[in-house]
Amino acid sequence: MEGRPTDGELFTRAQRGNQAAYEEIVHRYQQVAFRMAYVITGSAADAEDAAQEGFVKAYRALATFRSGAEPRPWLLRIVANEARNRVRSAGRRHQLELRVAERFRPGDAAPSPEAAAVAAEDSKRLLGFVNELSDEDRLVITSRYLLELSGEETAAALAIPEGTVKSRLSRALARLRVRVEEGGGA
Amino acid sequence: MPEVTQLEQRLVRLGNEIDWPVTPALEARVLVRIAPPVIVRRPWFQSRWALAAAALIVVLAALIAYAPSREAIAGWINVHTIFTRVNQLPTPSPQPSGPLGKRLGLGDPTTLAQAQSKVSWHILVPASLGRPDEVYVQFPPDGPPQGEVTLVYKSRPGLKTSGQTGVAVLITEANGKVDAQMFGKMLGPGTNLEDVTVNGHQGYWISGQPHVFFFIDANGNFRDETLRLATNTLLIDDNGTVIRIEGDLSKAQALEIASSLS
Repeated sequence: MEGRPTDGELFTRAQRGNQAAYEEIVHRYQQVAFRMAYVITGSAADAEDAAQEGFVKAYRALATFRSGAEPRPWLLRIVANEARNRVRSAGRRHQLELRVAERFRPGDAAPSPEAAAVAAEDSKRLLGFVNELSDEDRLVITSRYLLELSGEETAAALAIPEGTVKSRLSRALARLRVRVEEGGGA
Repeated sequence: MPEVTQLEQRLVRLGNEIDWPVTPALEARVLVRIAPPVIVRRPWFQSRWALAAAALIVVLAALIAYAPSREAIAGWINVHTIFTRVNQLPTPSPQPSGPLGKRLGLGDPTTLAQAQSKVSWHILVPASLGRPDEVYVQFPPDGPPQGEVTLVYKSRPGLKTSGQTGVAVLITEANGKVDAQMFGKMLGPGTNLEDVTVNGHQGYWISGQPHVFFFIDANGNFRDETLRLATNTLLIDDNGTVIRIEGDLSKAQALEIASSLS
């Protein structure tokens, strides 16, 4: 049985002009691309525009994609650029206020409704501390952990070298930890 | 530092608990944007519509790209239609002069029996309107790959003649197997879109301000099926046949016509 094509295979097909392959690429990446753009712009409408424009520009730039390279960071870098352009042209970033979903399941570990409620409160408190961080700290923490981007992808999202991601992340985590401890845990 | 590790784990879990905005379906919209470079090489592009179609593509691309608060409604749906909400509709091309079929881009005049012999699906006719006054059929290069049939009702008691088309009702039928072709509707800010069900088939009622119709065929060709503005339209999918009922109709009138199709 033929398995699901890998991202690299899809990119190769798309480079040969196969639009169906590119459609599948968009399908696979649109969620992470949109959420990353949302974190950067703070606006769902801007994120939607940036993700769409990024996918179109990436298609036109497919010839420059190096065979064998990782497709995901390459694509996310293009979408992130579009997102930053929108922030720049608007002259300001919308205040990003992430919220915990009301009906999230706090994980299989919660043994009772009471424990689930406590876990939900803990999540809200932790997110509150993240929201209170500076833009720079919040962006790096959100990208690396909440969006689970790799170090390379986080560097692409923030337009900084990968080494800077590490140092910025460690400082941001330290500041977050202080807040968590001062705030009575999360 | 173990504390940091624990905090990192908590942050990763937190990512799954966030109330993220709904991710929009971008596939169809990106495809519309990347399709134009392909069509330049296609024979149909040499048709008399070439210039108008190219202009529409440019406008469409510009609108989709830059309209700041545009709202995309849906990607693929069961009537094989993509809806795109835009702030401003492109100006439709002026209608060519001549007979009705040519003016509205419906194709060649024919009879119901002849049309039926040329297409693979059973052509549905609404009992409530009776036999059509005129029938048109259209195949590539100006129609979709499996053809398209249009029934024209010039006037009927109780139905207004449309200012856009000059006739009372247009019923267009095309075979729309999934992936075979993709229809598109550009909706302006004053256009309403509503889900409807007709005899158990999914459909959409599009009303209010006029909208623009386009489609992309199986080869990715961007087609200028109607560059005219469309009036109120009921779109339904009858087991793979896409039916458009168009005219200055109320929703009740359109639904009555649709439910009498057989």
